[in-house]
Amino acid sequence: MKLRAAAVSFLNARPLTAGLAGSPLIDLVLAEPSLCASMLEAGDVDLALLPVGALPGRDWEVVPGLAIGADGPVQTVVLCGEEPPERWDEVFLDTASRTSQILAQLMLRERGITPRYTHMPAVEGLARAVGPKGALVIGDRAFDVRKRVILDLGREWNQLTRLPMVFAVWAARPGALRPEDVQELARGAQVGLGMRTELAQQFAREAGGDPERYRRYLTQKIRYGLGPHELDGLEAFLSRAALAGLVPPTKLRFADDVVRSRRIRRTVSIDLALQKGADGVRLDPDEAEALDEKAPLLELGLAADMRRRALHPEGVVTYIVSRNMNYTNVCTTACSFCAFYRPRGHDEAYVLDRGEMAKKIEETLALGGIEILLQGGLHPDLGVEWYEELFRWVKSTYPAINLHALSPEEIWHIARTSDLSLDATVDRLVAAGLDSIPGGGAEVLDDEVRRRIAPLKCSTDEWLTVMRAAHLKGLRSTATLMFGVGEDSRNRVNHFVRLRELQDETRGFTAFICWTFQPENTRLEPSDNSAHAYLRVNALARLVLDNVPNFQASWVTMGGGVAQAALHMGCNDFGSVMIEENVVSAAGTTFQMDSEEVERHIRDAGFQPARRNMRYQLIGQAV
Amino acid sequence: MLSSLAHRALERDGLGGIRDKVLASERLTEAEALSLFEARDLAALGSLANHVREKRHGDLTFYNRNVHLNPTNVCVATCKFCSFARPDDKHASQGYTMSLEQSVHHVVSKRELGITEVHIVSGLHPDLPWEYYLETIRRIRQAWPELHIKGYTAVELHFFAEKFGKTHEQVLRELIDAGLTTIPGGGAEIFAERVRRKICDDKATAEQWLAVHRAAHGLGLKSNATMLYGHIETLAERVDHMARLRALQDETGGFQVFIPLAFHPEHNMIGKAFPKPTGYDGLRTFAVSRLFLDNFDHVKAYWVSLGERLAQASLSFGVDDVDGTVLEERIYHMAGATTPQALSEAQLHRMIRFAGRVPVERDSLYHVLRVHDAPAQGAVTAAAGGPR
Repeated sequence: MKLRAAAVSFLNARPLTAGLAGSPLIDLVLAEPSLCASMLEAGDVDLALLPVGALPGRDWEVVPGLAIGADGPVQTVVLCGEEPPERWDEVFLDTASRTSQILAQLMLRERGITPRYTHMPAVEGLARAVGPKGALVIGDRAFDVRKRVILDLGREWNQLTRLPMVFAVWAARPGALRPEDVQELARGAQVGLGMRTELAQQFAREAGGDPERYRRYLTQKIRYGLGPHELDGLEAFLSRAALAGLVPPTKLRFADDVVRSRRIRRTVSIDLALQKGADGVRLDPDEAEALDEKAPLLELGLAADMRRRALHPEGVVTYIVSRNMNYTNVCTTACSFCAFYRPRGHDEAYVLDRGEMAKKIEETLALGGIEILLQGGLHPDLGVEWYEELFRWVKSTYPAINLHALSPEEIWHIARTSDLSLDATVDRLVAAGLDSIPGGGAEVLDDEVRRRIAPLKCSTDEWLTVMRAAHLKGLRSTATLMFGVGEDSRNRVNHFVRLRELQDETRGFTAFICWTFQPENTRLEPSDNSAHAYLRVNALARLVLDNVPNFQASWVTMGGGVAQAALHMGCNDFGSVMIEENVVSAAGTTFQMDSEEVERHIRDAGFQPARRNMRYQLIGQAV
Repeated sequence: MLSSLAHRALERDGLGGIRDKVLASERLTEAEALSLFEARDLAALGSLANHVREKRHGDLTFYNRNVHLNPTNVCVATCKFCSFARPDDKHASQGYTMSLEQSVHHVVSKRELGITEVHIVSGLHPDLPWEYYLETIRRIRQAWPELHIKGYTAVELHFFAEKFGKTHEQVLRELIDAGLTTIPGGGAEIFAERVRRKICDDKATAEQWLAVHRAAHGLGLKSNATMLYGHIETLAERVDHMARLRALQDETGGFQVFIPLAFHPEHNMIGKAFPKPTGYDGLRTFAVSRLFLDNFDHVKAYWVSLGERLAQASLSFGVDDVDGTVLEERIYHMAGATTPQALSEAQLHRMIRFAGRVPVERDSLYHVLRVHDAPAQGAVTAAAGGPR
């Protein structure tokens, strides 16, 4: 039976709902926000895109990862009038949304304004908002409000709390949601977010107005993620409202989003599979999964070491000197495992300027560095031109620097915000100086996991599509895996198999790197993210990814000693002397090494150190 | 059973002979131990050591709940590797000496934490009277009769004997009467005279250290043995160190556990010239010691010095003991250790379980107190994701 759901028809909800049209699991009706709440309450629907003001006092289960919010001006929730708010003695509250009513009262109270509140429909309130009267207007009609004084409540909230404002979430009657429903909502969001330009155009045809303005509204003003900062914002809103006596105190409850569906696996001999892996015979998914679940660490290690010896018999372990330059920490995807990102209005949000970048690059060159690893958040204001100018400037000012830049996620983001095709985006970035692509943002390439931990990130197919396009244009890239986020053996093996298939096709991956999820300062609960798990998964990857030439040991997350052990269990590269690293250290891990220390670790473990470039060619002699 | 991959790797590395002896439970020679150290094949070496570990203990992995007590850091010895010792009690030199009341309070205040052992190590204080040391033990024993008191390294015990004009036996008897139950393994460093002359020439010699343990074993006390590795010593000197321990163990059987300790370089006299030994060095040292010390029941990785990640990895390289919850460790932290100063029991369980092993709480004498074979409620976090 299909799940009955209600959602608002507002433009900002469409990216979350458009992808659910024709859904086999969810039947959607559209209604005003306050009506969505009463339908859920009355049992007319089991699930609703609910204004957060309707959460208190109820035990609805919130769907993780997705929301409608803003981290600055939102445009569609405004207080307006003809005179400054300080003079208002009465404010007409749009009856369409309880959340905005609460927000309006909280914001006015912050300014010491306590007018009389009268509930009435927006059209009427707007008409009456003259003299010492104000009106709350929400929804699409707020786009066209013409009043002398307009307070954007998204901006007001953000300036007050430095947190994003969350307006609505998917919420359900307790127990009504099956895990596949949660996944369906995430899938719908991914589809809908990918068609924001079309949705804007469609809306302009229906309601009139400038499609470009609507597109910017959907891509730059509204946030659709519910990550750690958004949850902080939501909790702050609910607790302030409770303190003000506007709602009862609320404890958020989340829908269970773990899916357990298993295919039947044939019986596999662990010993035989290990022998095959050690000898370089291709492992099938059943064998890989059995090894992932059952093989002891040292058995995987021995087999992976045999593979490493076959592929790299010289006993050389390479490394590169590079700098990680995170050009911005502003990001819209709000992944639950990320401690680095900040919403746009946040006090700690930044975009590096040229001066800061020049200083970083010059320091890198002075330390013998040859590569800049340029990665950042998905900043809604940065279009392809910004990147083109940046790359041209780097390449013309510092011709020796290799630009290892932009994970697939960022490339999709640039294509989206600039309204370009993927091919055109990659072409323009390459023409501007992009040399190679880091394999970040892969996390676990299995949509079952991605939808749970990062519902707004690109899908597995999209990630691979960028890599394929880049490889076919002659770019090389790395591939990564971040695990310990609650995935299982099957998810990890799916990840390896998808990478292996693309590698068969393009041969564009130079290396594979895995690490475990670092949970500090994030809200995601880790599964096994221990050193033991790292060594096992790394060794298994060496066996399954038989066509990826190089394996990096991740001392940044695991420490030098565990990374040395990894050199004896499949790895032939010690990664990079990272002059700067911000993302992992934001999540609590702070291992540091200079070239000398990296070489000492390599030598001590019994290998000959050598410096390389991004294509894994040796450069010069080791220090 | 050693796997076919391990057989293949050991044959390839020319370690087939050693493997055969290990599988036949024959004793390895010092030359063989040295060739294992030099093998540069960590996975194969680990497999062999793991074989022995699992033959002895299966998946059982031991820990205890303990508190450290360091009554004073004032020390007349001038060990070059030490960051803990201070020359006097003066404020300027950051020296301290705890009063008897402070010491007892430090220990007794941990009573609610389920502690089963106090581990007492001090400096060689020039002025404290014999009664201070006896009274420390006596008062703790009085305040907490069932607590194991593991106290005073052989270096301290030898210092007491010389300073107070007693034999090792006399010193030990008096302490046993006061309530002492075991002796920690510290102060062994590296036995080779060349090394001791350079890094610790003014404390107990190798012979004196061994003599104290021999005396203790003779009186029925169990003790532990350490080795401080990763400074100026050669690999042969490490093997020599282990060989001397193995010989005494043949004689007395009184050692419970061997504990390799990594040298920590910060804030001491030789740190600049000798960086901290790498994790690789630690793992191979655990493995070789597990293979060479065939008469030691246990090999311990001290997580305070290694970090949790390496300590966990060591459980596949011959180690079966990860020390304890260690409340308020000072000695390694003054040498720059950045590990936490204590681990909760739940964290230890998580570390051990995720290595595929079974956590076992033990007492100071390696009696099993509790086998945690089913995940304790809340000890291991479920794999459920999503925001919380």
